[in-house]
Amino acid sequence: MKKHYSINRILVYVFLASMFIVSVFPFYWMVAGMTNTAVEVIKGKMTFGNQTLSNITTLFTTYNMVRILLNSLKITVFTVLGTLIVSSMAAYGFQTYASPAREKAYSIIILFMMVPFIALMIPLFRLIVKMHLLNTHIGLVLTSISSVFIIFFFRQSFKAFPYEIIQAARVDGAGEFRIFFSIFIPSMKSTYAAAAIYSFMSSWNAYLWPLIILQTDKQKTVTLMISSMSSAYFPEYGVIMTAIVIATLPIIIVFFGFQKYFVQGMLGSSLKQ
Amino acid sequence: MMGENTSGSFIKSKNRHGWLFVSLALILLGVFLFYPIVYSLYLSTTSSRGIVQKFVGFSNYARLFQDSMFILALKNTLIFFLIQVPIMLFLALILATILNDKTIKFRGFFRTAFFLPAVTSLIAYTILFKMMFSLDGFINGVLLNVHIIKSPIPWLLDPFWAKVTLIIALTWRWTGYNMIFYLSALQNISEEIYEAAKIDGADKVKQFFYITIPLLKPLILFTAIMSTIGTLQLFDEPMNLSQGGVTSATIGPGNSLLTLSVYVYNLCFKYMPNFGYAATVSYAIVLIVALLSIIQFKVMGDKK
Amino acid sequence: MLKRKFIILVVVCLFLIASSITYAESAEKSGTITIWSWDPNFNIPIMKEAAERYTKDNPKVTFEIVDLAKADVEQKLHINLASGVTGGLPDIALIEDYNAQKYLQSYPGSFADLTNKIKYSDFANYKASLMTLEGKVYGVPFDSGVSGLFYRTDYIEKAGYKSEDLNNITWDKFIEIGKTVKEKTGKSMIGFDLNDGGIMRIMMQSAGKWYFDDKGNVNLLNNDALKEAVKIYKAFADSGIIKQTNGWSEWVAAFNNGDVATVVTGVWIIGSVKADKASAGKWKVAATPRLNIDGAVNASNLGGSSWYVLENSKNRDLAIDFLNKIYAGDIDFYQKILTDRGAVGTYIPAQSSAVYSSEDAFFSGQKVYTDFSGWIKAIPAINYGVYTYEADAAIFSVMPEVYSGKISIEDALKKAEEQLKNQIKK
Repeated sequence: MKKHYSINRILVYVFLASMFIVSVFPFYWMVAGMTNTAVEVIKGKMTFGNQTLSNITTLFTTYNMVRILLNSLKITVFTVLGTLIVSSMAAYGFQTYASPAREKAYSIIILFMMVPFIALMIPLFRLIVKMHLLNTHIGLVLTSISSVFIIFFFRQSFKAFPYEIIQAARVDGAGEFRIFFSIFIPSMKSTYAAAAIYSFMSSWNAYLWPLIILQTDKQKTVTLMISSMSSAYFPEYGVIMTAIVIATLPIIIVFFGFQKYFVQGMLGSSLKQ
Repeated sequence: MMGENTSGSFIKSKNRHGWLFVSLALILLGVFLFYPIVYSLYLSTTSSRGIVQKFVGFSNYARLFQDSMFILALKNTLIFFLIQVPIMLFLALILATILNDKTIKFRGFFRTAFFLPAVTSLIAYTILFKMMFSLDGFINGVLLNVHIIKSPIPWLLDPFWAKVTLIIALTWRWTGYNMIFYLSALQNISEEIYEAAKIDGADKVKQFFYITIPLLKPLILFTAIMSTIGTLQLFDEPMNLSQGGVTSATIGPGNSLLTLSVYVYNLCFKYMPNFGYAATVSYAIVLIVALLSIIQFKVMGDKK
Repeated sequence: MLKRKFIILVVVCLFLIASSITYAESAEKSGTITIWSWDPNFNIPIMKEAAERYTKDNPKVTFEIVDLAKADVEQKLHINLASGVTGGLPDIALIEDYNAQKYLQSYPGSFADLTNKIKYSDFANYKASLMTLEGKVYGVPFDSGVSGLFYRTDYIEKAGYKSEDLNNITWDKFIEIGKTVKEKTGKSMIGFDLNDGGIMRIMMQSAGKWYFDDKGNVNLLNNDALKEAVKIYKAFADSGIIKQTNGWSEWVAAFNNGDVATVVTGVWIIGSVKADKASAGKWKVAATPRLNIDGAVNASNLGGSSWYVLENSKNRDLAIDFLNKIYAGDIDFYQKILTDRGAVGTYIPAQSSAVYSSEDAFFSGQKVYTDFSGWIKAIPAINYGVYTYEADAAIFSVMPEVYSGKISIEDALKKAEEQLKNQIKK
């Protein structure tokens, strides 16, 4: 009996270990690629080489890397902040002040999630041009901060919030917005952290829409740069791998930094379905 | 409905605040989502060659049924949906269940590792997968070395294997992501239920099927519907896995990776641009997502 | 007497100089030219070189050269043109030759008519015809996709062949040689993507044919060139002499790794071939193989693109002047991009310059560019029409079934033709 149990245990660990290798290997490959030349990467070289410095130098001299990274960072930070405020306020409004009219509005915007973005590109583009927001980071941020998924996510989490606290605050004479900003938000930190990570990932990695709205190299983001690099007549894979590593690092850092909250935040949202 | 204060003025102010809180989002969504949706609905009744546009009413919708390329894309997309989504969700459930077991060591470590793929950008990871799954790439190298196969598998060269590769890639990227949802929900289920089941003689497998799955049903439904939307809008992965040739016009060998969203893209940008018909295909996607979601609600028996 | 003449001369000269200075000042051009292009190792640096040359004479002109993926340039152009707003468009865009007609016909009035502004007789004949619509010529021809058969002399010799054996051959002969090469050296004859239409396009154009006839009607089923091309694709799939690749990087890897004896493609590949320094001196180039049908020649084309000026651009005239001065006038520029980037332009006056006839040590001292220039002139001019990608997709949807023997070539072409006709009906 005891032995049977431990064999199972070993199998579980073997399974976990193999899943670990599968999950992490591409990251190893990516870092190894960063240290090799284009030809070596294509040839499938698995070991580390000594090209790191030259790849990084090429990347930073051929491309305006610093500026591109700052662009990505700026867009992402403003998108995340905007998303958190706008979407959480909306979710709070839908959840705390329930009314049939708003419930209807909510159902409709949830349905919007089903429309593929690609169908909306042309009208959205016309709109952006008419609003003189083409090739601006503001245009990109404005169109990205009202995420239906994040509103949905926030609302699911908010269902768990004890309503009595809000009532008590009202009795104490606190205004509705003060309740939201100084009582509600601080107590939902992990939900906000989870939404922040999600929104950070989707903004940092966004491709199709930034590609259309941003017109010049000066405004470009990291993801757009990787795409244009990989379509050259002769792609420099070592440099591309370097760019991918640099582009992936910030998300990994953010994720590790907020991991604890992330899991907790997800927990909140799944409480009530 | 809630609380003691039901005087008219409070209800009014409550209502006003309700609108105030949702107004920002509603304005933005109205402008940047609702307007484009209405406009593209109008577009779907036109047929165009670039800017040369004409009104065709519903004939675009009729055209769908005769368009063999559309039918192929639909078929491919449904195959990915029917095979990839269940595999991924099942795997995510198993991983979540294992990592929820407090006696397993290094749980946090594994959790992080399994989630890691979800942070990569879609472009970056497909570039990596394309290289690893090349004919004499890393995967074939390993399989040949351990004598699992005798000759290299034509991963991205054969219509069947290309589909397999895409399914593997999608599963790699999204399993950990779904696992996190399950894991957080599992932490809510009290240990006692499992203890009781153990006493009743239910082994781990039985516990998984009779306790874990039923308790997670609402969440499974949620992830299933999100994955449905994701699969029906599948775009970056097939696009990047297949593209690369100077001139290749098919998405994967024999168009085996052509999904509905990629077809919409082709109609707009690769072929003679017909934005009207492209919008029609987009609304076909919306209809299919809605239909599949309804079916999932029915099957899972969730009464919302 | 002489002195007086001299003084007059000096005065006249001074006057001329002075007037030319004032003239130059008043007409000094200024503005920022925005250009959309792709490929950071080819088109982008070439355009930067061109911009540098132009700003030397026109210091007040600045350039904004945007580096995008090729698919992204196309997509952005479509979305800008289709939305009917001009604010987001560049002044100049690079467009692939296969796509030129599609843009010209889908967006009438969007591109500047250059008929009388550029001297098209200075460019390869086939190029100008690709950018002509209803008698008007748009665009400034840029690089050539003239094709060639690059081969490894060491492998070919080991298999018992000489360079002459590869000159002006048919594809059938190519396969025959390939079998011997495989047998004697163990190397594959060519890196080949069975799902890519590149070689098929080379084959068809060498016979002066395309997926469509002159009037633009679908021509798959009764197209002898296409039928022959599909037959050869099938033969490649069956023969075991190819190294199968998927997409760009694997294909490049195949010849950079020394896995294959030949590469058949456009001249723009030279940079990638040369990237493998270990194989220097072991390469040569022969004429493109031809189809075994009447009218086929040993010259063809794959890819190549041209610059187009947007009609509503604020700097339209400036952009045209720029392209005219550099791309349709600066021979030295063409020499520079040839030596630096291996870029073969279609500007004929440049082809008689010294650089074009220099011997290339990488190619065993062969005067490769002289050969390519010769082949350019022999490329059959054809009309690609507007549905090349649709046709390609239709054909390559059925090809896997041809390879597996599930359906005959005849049936496959029939199926593809029906599909294509249905696709482009409206």
